[in-house]
Amino acid sequence: MTKHDSVSRRIFYVCNVIFFLLLIAVVLFPYLNILAKALNDGKDTAMGGITIFPRRPTFENFTTVLGDKSFGRAFLTSACIVVAGTLLNLLVQFMAAYVFMNKQFIGHKVLLYLFMVPMYFGGGLIPQYILYSKLGLLNNYLVYVLPGCFSVYNMIIIRSYLNSIPASLAESARVDGANDLRIAFRIILPLAKPVLATVALWVAVALWNDWLTTLYFVTKKEMFTLQYVLMQVLKEAEKIQAIIKEAAMRGEVVNIKSNITTESVKSAQLIVTTVPIIIMYPFLQKYFIQGITLGAVKD
Amino acid sequence: MGKVRKENGKDSAAFRRAVWRKLKRDRYLYLMLLPAALVTIVFAYIPMGGLIMAFQDFDIFKGFLHSPWVGLKNFSNIFTQAKFLKSVWNTLMCGVLCLLICFPAPIILALLINELKDGIFKKFSQTISYLPHFLSMISVVGLVYMLFGRDGFVNDVYLALGGAERVTFLARQELFIWFVIGVVFWKETGWGTVIHLANLSSISPELYEAASIDGATRLQKMRFITLPHMKPTVIILLIFQMGTIFNSNFELIYGLQNPYVDFEVISTIVYQTGIKGGNYSMSTALGFAQGLVALVLVLGSNGLAKKMTGNGIL
Repeated sequence: MTKHDSVSRRIFYVCNVIFFLLLIAVVLFPYLNILAKALNDGKDTAMGGITIFPRRPTFENFTTVLGDKSFGRAFLTSACIVVAGTLLNLLVQFMAAYVFMNKQFIGHKVLLYLFMVPMYFGGGLIPQYILYSKLGLLNNYLVYVLPGCFSVYNMIIIRSYLNSIPASLAESARVDGANDLRIAFRIILPLAKPVLATVALWVAVALWNDWLTTLYFVTKKEMFTLQYVLMQVLKEAEKIQAIIKEAAMRGEVVNIKSNITTESVKSAQLIVTTVPIIIMYPFLQKYFIQGITLGAVKD
Repeated sequence: MGKVRKENGKDSAAFRRAVWRKLKRDRYLYLMLLPAALVTIVFAYIPMGGLIMAFQDFDIFKGFLHSPWVGLKNFSNIFTQAKFLKSVWNTLMCGVLCLLICFPAPIILALLINELKDGIFKKFSQTISYLPHFLSMISVVGLVYMLFGRDGFVNDVYLALGGAERVTFLARQELFIWFVIGVVFWKETGWGTVIHLANLSSISPELYEAASIDGATRLQKMRFITLPHMKPTVIILLIFQMGTIFNSNFELIYGLQNPYVDFEVISTIVYQTGIKGGNYSMSTALGFAQGLVALVLVLGSNGLAKKMTGNGIL
C-alpha cells in the first residue's frame, strides 16, 4: 500500500486482511478445539462449551490412548509401513525414471504406453479384491506396500528432474566402462537426492494417511493401521448413538454417560494420529510445493 | 532405432544381430524396469481382465471359466434398481456441486492472496491455508464429528443463539451432501491455490506497469492481464476435474455415513454390495460403467480443451 492508493483501494486492503484473519480462524479452530478437548477432563467435556482452552486440564486422555496396547501396535504398524513402503517406492520409481531418461532402447514407446494406460482406466475394486485373494495378499502385510509401489506420475516427476542432469556425466562413466546399474546408483542417484526427498515425502504422507487398504483387504486386528483404528473409534461412537436412539424409541433409557467420556479420548486419539504430520508440516509444505512446480513445468 | 532400420534393408540377419546387440547392451535397463513393469501388469492390467465378471453371474468357487454368462443384465440393473440409480444420481450431484463450488474457490483465493502485501502475514496465511490438505481424510471426518456433534462447538453456538435443544447435524439427511462439499472445500481450497499462485508469480511486472501508464484501472488490469494469463492452467485443471466428476470420494462419504442418513454414492455401493455383500458381478458392472464414463469425460474434455486453447494434456 502506498500513499497514492485510493480510498477504495485501502478499504479493499483492510477487508482482505480481515478476510484472511477469518480464514486462519476457520482453518485452525477445529484442530485447536479438538486439542482443548483432548487436554480436558472427559466428564467435563461432555457438558459442552469447550472452545480452544481446556477447562479442567488433564493428560489422562493421552495416557489412556498411549497406554492402549492395540493403539500402540497400530502406531508401530503404520510407522513400519511408511518406512518400508517409502523405500520400496523410491527404489522402483527411481529405476524406472532412470530407464526412461534414456530414449534409445528398443520398446521405449510401447513400455511408456504400458505405464500410462492405467492412469486413465482400471479394473476397479472388485477385480482387485479377487486378484488379491488369489495371490494371498488379503491379511498380508505386503498388501500395504506392494500394489502401490509404482506411480507413473511420480516416475515422470523424477524423470524430468533427471533430465536436467548433464548427460556428459553418465557418458564419461560409460566410457570408463561402467554399466547402467553402476551409473544409475553411483552417479545419478546422489545427484537426484532433492527430487527423491520430495517424492519420498509425498509417498510417506499418503501411506501414513491411508486407511482404505485396511478397510478393503485386512480383517485381522493386529494388522490394523493407525488411521483405520481412528476410523473405527469414530464410527463406534456413531453406532452407540444409534443403539441409544433405538432404545429411546422402545422407551428405554440407556446410560449415556458411559460413552461420553470417550469424546475426550477420541480427541486425544485424533491428535496422536495427526501429530507426525503436524510436526513434519514445515518440511512437508516446502517439498510439496516444490513438487507441484516440478509437475507444472514437466515436458 | 533409425540405424537399425537402415540395416534392415540390406540384410535381415544383420538386422537381427543389431537388435540383439542393442538388447544385450541395454540389458540392465530392462532389468531396472522389471519391478515397475511387473507391478503394473499384475496390479493394473490383470484386474482389467477381471472386468469380464461384469458380464457374468460370477461365483468365486466356479471362477471366470465356469461362471454363467448373463450379457448386459448387470448393467441394465443399474438403471432398473432404485438403489443403484440413486447412487449414480448422488455421485453426479456431488461431482457437479464440487465443480461449481470447490473448483473456482482456489482461483478466487489465489487472487486475494496475491493482493496481500509480501511479508509475514501473507506467508502465514498461506501456510495455514495449506494445512488441512495434509491431514488424513478420516481425521478431518473426526474433526467434523466432534465439531458438529451433540457436545460440539457448533451446538454450543446454536444454543447461545437461542436454539431450543442440541441438534445432531450429521444425522440430518438434507444436510449430508453439504457436509461432503464443505469438507472438500475446507480441506482443499487452500492447497488448490498453490498452482495458481505459481502461475501468477510468472506474470511480468512490466505488463502491469505498461497498463498503469496507459491508465488502466485495477479491475481492467485483472480483466486483461491476470485472468488471460491464468486461463490455460485453469482449463487444464478443469479437464482433470471433469474427469473426476464421477469419482465420488469414498473416504469422505464412507467416513461421514451414519445410521441416520441414507446417502450412497457409486463407490460406497460398490464396496457394500461387492466386498461386504459378495455380489461381485453387480458391483464390478457398476464400477466398470463408472470407469468408462470417467474415461469418456477425460477424453471429451481434453478434446474440447485442445480446440479452445490449442493444447491438451494427453
